[in-house]
Amino acid sequence: MLSFVRFLFAFTIGSHILLVSTSIALVVLISVAEFISIRKHDKVYEALARRLAKVFVISFAVGTASGIVMAVELVSLFPTFMTLVASTGAIVLLYAEVSAFFLEVLALVLYVYYWNAFKGRYTHWILSLFMAAGTLGSAVFITMVNAWMNTPTGFDISAFISSGFKTISGVQPYAAFLTPSTADQVFHVLVTTIFAGSMVIGAYFAYWFIRSRDAEDRAMYSRALKILGAVAVITILVSGITGSREMGALLVNQPLKYAALDGNPVPGTNFPDRFFGSVVGNSYVGGFSIPGMQSLLAQVETGISQLPGLSQFPSSQWPPLFVNTTFNLMTIGGVALGVFFLVYFLALITKRRPYESRRILYLWIPAAVAAMVVYQLGWATDEVGRQPWIVYNVMTVAQAANTSDALLVPGIVIVAFYLLVIPATFYLYARVFRRKAETVAA
Amino acid sequence: MNGVFEVNFAAFSIFVALLITEIMGAVVLLIAWPARGKVLDYLVPVWEVTGTFGAFWVVTGDFAYPTLLVPVASLFAPLLVVFVMLWVARSASISFAEFITKRGWLDEMKLYRAYALSTIVIGIVVLVLLSSLVGGQGVDLSTGSFSLASWATAGSMAFILGTLLLGVGFAPVFFDLPQLRGYVLPFAGAGVALSVLSYWLMSSALVTWWMSVPVVLTLLAGALYLWPRTVKVVTNKGVFLTVLSVIIFSLQFLVYPAAVGQALSIDAVTTAGAMADAFISMTLVGASLLAVMLLLYIRVAARGPSGPDFP
Repeated sequence: MLSFVRFLFAFTIGSHILLVSTSIALVVLISVAEFISIRKHDKVYEALARRLAKVFVISFAVGTASGIVMAVELVSLFPTFMTLVASTGAIVLLYAEVSAFFLEVLALVLYVYYWNAFKGRYTHWILSLFMAAGTLGSAVFITMVNAWMNTPTGFDISAFISSGFKTISGVQPYAAFLTPSTADQVFHVLVTTIFAGSMVIGAYFAYWFIRSRDAEDRAMYSRALKILGAVAVITILVSGITGSREMGALLVNQPLKYAALDGNPVPGTNFPDRFFGSVVGNSYVGGFSIPGMQSLLAQVETGISQLPGLSQFPSSQWPPLFVNTTFNLMTIGGVALGVFFLVYFLALITKRRPYESRRILYLWIPAAVAAMVVYQLGWATDEVGRQPWIVYNVMTVAQAANTSDALLVPGIVIVAFYLLVIPATFYLYARVFRRKAETVAA
Repeated sequence: MNGVFEVNFAAFSIFVALLITEIMGAVVLLIAWPARGKVLDYLVPVWEVTGTFGAFWVVTGDFAYPTLLVPVASLFAPLLVVFVMLWVARSASISFAEFITKRGWLDEMKLYRAYALSTIVIGIVVLVLLSSLVGGQGVDLSTGSFSLASWATAGSMAFILGTLLLGVGFAPVFFDLPQLRGYVLPFAGAGVALSVLSYWLMSSALVTWWMSVPVVLTLLAGALYLWPRTVKVVTNKGVFLTVLSVIIFSLQFLVYPAAVGQALSIDAVTTAGAMADAFISMTLVGASLLAVMLLLYIRVAARGPSGPDFP
């Protein structure tokens, strides 16, 4: 039953992430499109923002409902964990997240349903910033909860463990806002989320730009791709930097996870970056490696030269070692996407209009799939890499989970439900966007 | 006076008030589809706010009563799962309905009716939860189990039916539907009578003089719709929602100081110390932000809808 609980939550959050990443990228695209439309008096950008605003309503609706599913699932599947969350500063983060939600929903209602009620166009555009602040704020606060799970603070951990999870004392409610891993994790999650979402939305525009023969439609798709291409170039570059910092933070705060991700069987110095092999005893077997690279990056990020190895920790606390492979896939995928956008950037600065190049756009579509896979692998690596812990070095997943058989049938129904809702939602995104209620002439 | 409880109950009152107005709209969508115009003008922006208040109430509940999470998870797991699936169905169907163009068998009316049905069933699920939290029907705290069969007492059924009758009675008031004016007093009166009866059946201790506050406010709101001079006041959605929230808030004596048929002391399970202080401080910050946004919303909404479909 424990495996089912893990699968159910992983499946739900994986589905939820699809919605969230596109929501976040949408709000960025809407805001930028409207801003440009005002600055340049460009009706096409305005029509783009209007049509995307409708898509955002659906995205918000299904995303929020899915968020409520997650909240109820957390209580039902991991009640012991949620009791700890609710008794410490982690709940303050969830409370802050709901406040961000309020900001988002009220700004969204005003932005979409009262578009023409604002005489000053910049006043209306400012609402998109509120919407974005609410959307990004929600993502930031929920990532802070995850950072707290990775590096818990703000309560007396030893008293909590020694009392058999009965005594929660020494609570500092606001400590969860800034755990040792918060800043690095939040920045990395934020930029990679915007990147992945931009790629997915961009793939839609790329596909229709290639297919469409309608000049008006193509003008709109090309403008959307222009914005998304710029966002992707910036975020993939920053993702590389924040990803490297994130590994530095792991090295300092979660050395076992670091050792598992990098496939270090034993501690040592002058380590290579190891790819696609496996840890057998005290050796890393198979795959290939880049000599000295791991140590070089660790030295640059943290100044640490002595790197940890799995043998330093009891094997009962090791995460599943396939995280080395998921981590490798993530980094190599990220680098490949970086190369793609380097080419895109070079085409851009040489005025070759990559956002209208069929070759680039044909490549964009599989690149978007790769970006979402890489993004999901990133989360999988983070979560599986923390196993067996749900709260690092405090509470294991087995201790936190509700393993009642009564959850089996409702769980299967939830999975089936998501399998229906997610494709329906993306289908409707496309249908709503393609409906020409707001044409250039509107 | 328990500040943490009051905040959580206030969030609950606003959420339930919004949900009730949605249920009233759902009733109209099902029984009087041609009158949908006024209903959709209200529902289409507001259903998203209801969801957010729902999430707010859940999180304040987690924050306020951390030790209740494990018992609640085991007690109400099946009901909660039904609730969340209906919630996704409700949100998906109304957002799809808003933008759908007819394609095959699927059209706007079918989606809005799917929304209406799921919203009404959500209301019933919430009422089942509430009636068991008030009177303890179906709840066995010693074994941590909930039985729907044991819950289905005369008191619980009267509670559900009374609330639904109130919804039907007040739908014409809230949406200002003169063609359904004849429903108001019979349904609202029967709803009030059944609700009071349900509390008495759950526990005679629940029926106190305090009960006269919501009873009088409810009947007054219905009667004012029948008097032409006051129609504008009671059909003002802001006024109605405020009064409805106050009525629900005034029912807090049903669960405080003790809930679940007087078996659970609320003060004993409420968060305390630094966490209680943080709860109040965060609420003040969040409420200030919300108040500013709501004021802006009311100011802009007074100009009428003018979104992407209203050039």
